[in-house]
Amino acid sequence: MLFNSLSFVVFLVLVLALYYSKIFNWTGKKRMLLLASYIFYGLWNPPLVILLWISTVVDWTTGKKLATEVNQSKRKMWLMLSMLVNLGFLAFFKYGDFLLENFVSLVNMVGIEFQARPMDIILPMGISFYTFQTMSYTIDMYKKKIEPAKTFLDFALYVTFFPQLVAGPIVRAQDLITQFYEEKKATANQFIWGLFLLTIGLFQKVVMADTLLSETSDIVFGSDKLLHGIDAWIGTVAFSGQIFFDFAGYSTCAIGIALMLGIILPDNFRYPYASLGFSDLWKRWHISLSAWLKDYLYIPLGGNRHGITKMYVALMLTMLLGGLWHGAAWTFIVWGGLHGTYLILERLQRRYLPFKITKWNGIFLAFITFSCVNITWVFFRARQFDTAWNMIKSMLYMQTEGEKVLQTFDIIKVSVVITILFLCHWIMRNTSMKEVSLKTPTWVLGVFWAIMLFLIVISQGNGEQFIYFQF
Amino acid sequence: MQLKQTLIIAITLGIISITAWELYWRSQGLEPNIDDNKNLWTNQREKLDDNTDNNVVFIGSSRILYDIQLDIWKEKTQTKPVMLATQGASPIPPFRDIIENTDFNGTLIVGITPPLLFSTTYPQAEFMKRSQTLVDYHKTRTYAQKLNHKLSIPLQSNLAFIRDGDEEWDSDVDLKTLLKQIHLKERAGPFFPPFNNFEEITLDRHMKMPQRMVTDTAYANTVKKVWKTILSGKFPPPDKEATTNAFLELANTFKARGGNLILVRCPSSGFFRHVENMGFPRKDFWNTLAEKVGSKAYHFEDYEQFKDLELPEWSHLSHASAQFFTTELIKIMKADGALTNSKTN
Repeated sequence: MLFNSLSFVVFLVLVLALYYSKIFNWTGKKRMLLLASYIFYGLWNPPLVILLWISTVVDWTTGKKLATEVNQSKRKMWLMLSMLVNLGFLAFFKYGDFLLENFVSLVNMVGIEFQARPMDIILPMGISFYTFQTMSYTIDMYKKKIEPAKTFLDFALYVTFFPQLVAGPIVRAQDLITQFYEEKKATANQFIWGLFLLTIGLFQKVVMADTLLSETSDIVFGSDKLLHGIDAWIGTVAFSGQIFFDFAGYSTCAIGIALMLGIILPDNFRYPYASLGFSDLWKRWHISLSAWLKDYLYIPLGGNRHGITKMYVALMLTMLLGGLWHGAAWTFIVWGGLHGTYLILERLQRRYLPFKITKWNGIFLAFITFSCVNITWVFFRARQFDTAWNMIKSMLYMQTEGEKVLQTFDIIKVSVVITILFLCHWIMRNTSMKEVSLKTPTWVLGVFWAIMLFLIVISQGNGEQFIYFQF
Repeated sequence: MQLKQTLIIAITLGIISITAWELYWRSQGLEPNIDDNKNLWTNQREKLDDNTDNNVVFIGSSRILYDIQLDIWKEKTQTKPVMLATQGASPIPPFRDIIENTDFNGTLIVGITPPLLFSTTYPQAEFMKRSQTLVDYHKTRTYAQKLNHKLSIPLQSNLAFIRDGDEEWDSDVDLKTLLKQIHLKERAGPFFPPFNNFEEITLDRHMKMPQRMVTDTAYANTVKKVWKTILSGKFPPPDKEATTNAFLELANTFKARGGNLILVRCPSSGFFRHVENMGFPRKDFWNTLAEKVGSKAYHFEDYEQFKDLELPEWSHLSHASAQFFTTELIKIMKADGALTNSKTN
């Protein structure tokens, strides 16, 4: 089920009505939320709920064993079981065809004639998110960082909680399971603020991403020709805006819906396009994934504990795997590799060419960071390397002889939207929406909210899927 | 900041602005309207999943969709029509779907629009992809999508500004479509002329041409202008052999399992007919296909009563003409013994 759909409106109203009715006690409400979460997921493809159940049962059992088992090798064995099941699901469902394709290419390269039929495996929605979430529980249990979930119900709800089930934020057990132990009820202000966040999220998705930006990006990346430099840049920045509004929109909806239930989810985006460098970017973009990769990949790989060279290797490996997490294609790996390279170059610059960031050079640095990020989006969005190379050539050499595929109005529209997006991020980079809203007169916020509602309704949308569902 | 007051202001202004938007579009002559889309098609296609009814299935393009009036068909033949014709598309993907994924062996009526059928069998070609998308959607539609469709029907039926079309030509008034109509300096080729709406469809895909197309010549001319733009474009030569063979293979399979296949060439006129006659001469395309398939086949040019039909935009019949065409075609088919599963009483 999609947040930007009519069925979700009905679903949410029913869930809220049951949640705030006096029919259930707290355990009953949690059961209802769990059932609602399975319905939320199952309305897309019912049989794939079984994967959620398997992940839940395996990790619940592992967690219980890890809490009591003292024998280190047995503890390791339990952890391996959890990893095997979760990563096995990912490997089969998400990377099956990719692995097969690369295996075939490899054996063909060494002269062995072999062809394999693609497996055409359906990709379960949000599998990368919920597997990472449950794995964080078993890893933390193994490291004795957290207490086991008190009940199976609490754990199952942690794995399946519908607002963040399919596209995050990826929440740690200690941040979410503990909230299920005591009855939660949103205050009137929390509820209204949650509704406001839901509106902002839908506005970002339906109006900004789908209505204003997606088509331009689709036209440009759908072309197989060498494009005019302006078209290539506009298509790329359109995608840059689209993916931010799409993904940040989902996270904002998730945070808002959870807040309406009295549950607090962490921020996932903090105005990333005004980042001052790439370390800053990854503290602002998909924060829950960056933190996950840092804690469960970069640090176990050695982090910065074994010298500079090994740190760079760990950093690059983390970003390459981070790229692969987003999609089973070499273009995603290149995207990760570029970000790894940026991070290494930034560390080298800090070491050998340090300079102070002031309010004068800050916006310039943010703009440079944003421009470099845009180059990486080309590889993220292009389905083929040929398309990506053509785009990069057009962007860097500013091809004036290239094909023009965008009309004048499209160029103006995207330029205005992206300029406003960048400036908003710059203005907001050291504050938050909550802080700004507290300083804003009531009527101004009311009018702003009404405008968003109006634009969502007149945009209508057709329930286009969120980009990150495929990851 | 008072959040409760903020909410009250937002809801009040939101309702006022949305009401004003609805009133504005009604003042512009827009009425609530169901759009022909993938959900309507899939609802019809699902009827074949449990093929126990006395169904007659129609496939083809928009011509048979407009020209066969389902209410008349139902009344005169006492069969249940299932309309699977797809606007602007080849009948091959739905035909293949019926062959491969159903056990339907009743009467299948295929509307032949030469430029759409004989152009190509290349799966990525627009005409093929459009109907294949519908076939795929039938296989992949989720429960959530089905529910969204059901919930959208009351909104589409009561609000003029709510539209749910899938295609470029659907004259939606959503923000994206409205922005697309802003034309500044031409940069990437000429702008496409506005494609005004000329469809009125019911939930069971009974299509009627709106009366405005008959009474408002200027309005009908805007559609003619679109046809001229499309037909004046560059197209690869028709792939007669591949398309005929693909169709023939499906036809033979269908007939071999006892199906009753009927071909119909619906009327066209004016510039459209001229282009069709030039690019797809009857004797080379229709006649060859009809002969090879060996089923009952009806070409509008062969019947005196179809000489003076009204086609306000050259390609589809007005509602009155479509009613006449349907009535007469049924008579012709019955007299010819083509409708094997229709009840004669």
